Amino acid sequence: MKNRLRILRAERNWSQADLADRLEVSRQSVNAIETGKFDPSLPLAFKLARLFNSPIETIFTDEE
Amino acid sequence: MQCLPYTKAGRRYTARLAITMAIYLAVTFLTQWCFHHLHPTGPLVYLLAVLPALPLLATLAVVGIYIAEETDEFERSILVQSMLWGLGGALSVATVWGSLEDFARAPHLSAFYIYVFFWIFMGISQPFIRRRYQ
Repeated sequence: MKNRLRILRAERNWSQADLADRLEVSRQSVNAIETGKFDPSLPLAFKLARLFNSPIETIFTDEE
Repeated sequence: MQCLPYTKAGRRYTARLAITMAIYLAVTFLTQWCFHHLHPTGPLVYLLAVLPALPLLATLAVVGIYIAEETDEFERSILVQSMLWGLGGALSVATVWGSLEDFARAPHLSAFYIYVFFWIFMGISQPFIRRRYQ
């Protein structure tokens, strides 16, 4: 699933490790989600939405 | 490639595996000593023979505990996928070797090695599974 995580992260000047710490997951998890190769669960997607203060649909898109 | 576990649950998993394997080595040594020096008979033989298998069963429980404790869904998914490869690999080896024993008179392979093959396939598959997500 495509997403804007890299952009949102860059706007805040966060590294993947910074985001991983805030989400309490591994950096590998953040990388896998960011590259669109691993789709997060709904609870993790909501956590991301809260963290970036944005609706889920503005972070993730189901377009191929 | 990082070799250390990525999460707290992963570190606990590694520590628990190390402890159960240490217990396995100690129990195996103790069992061998008992068979060589005490020459047990009757039901005691079965009891002693099954003792080394118990810590190995505990390692499987350790995997289950890790899956229950791991809050990082990506890491949990990697382990579950590698477990499936481990189970599939071990069952495949057992099936093929069983057929070889039945029809080609291949030497007998102890059923114990199915457990060993489970871990071998599980361990080998993990880096390849991780690679798919990079």
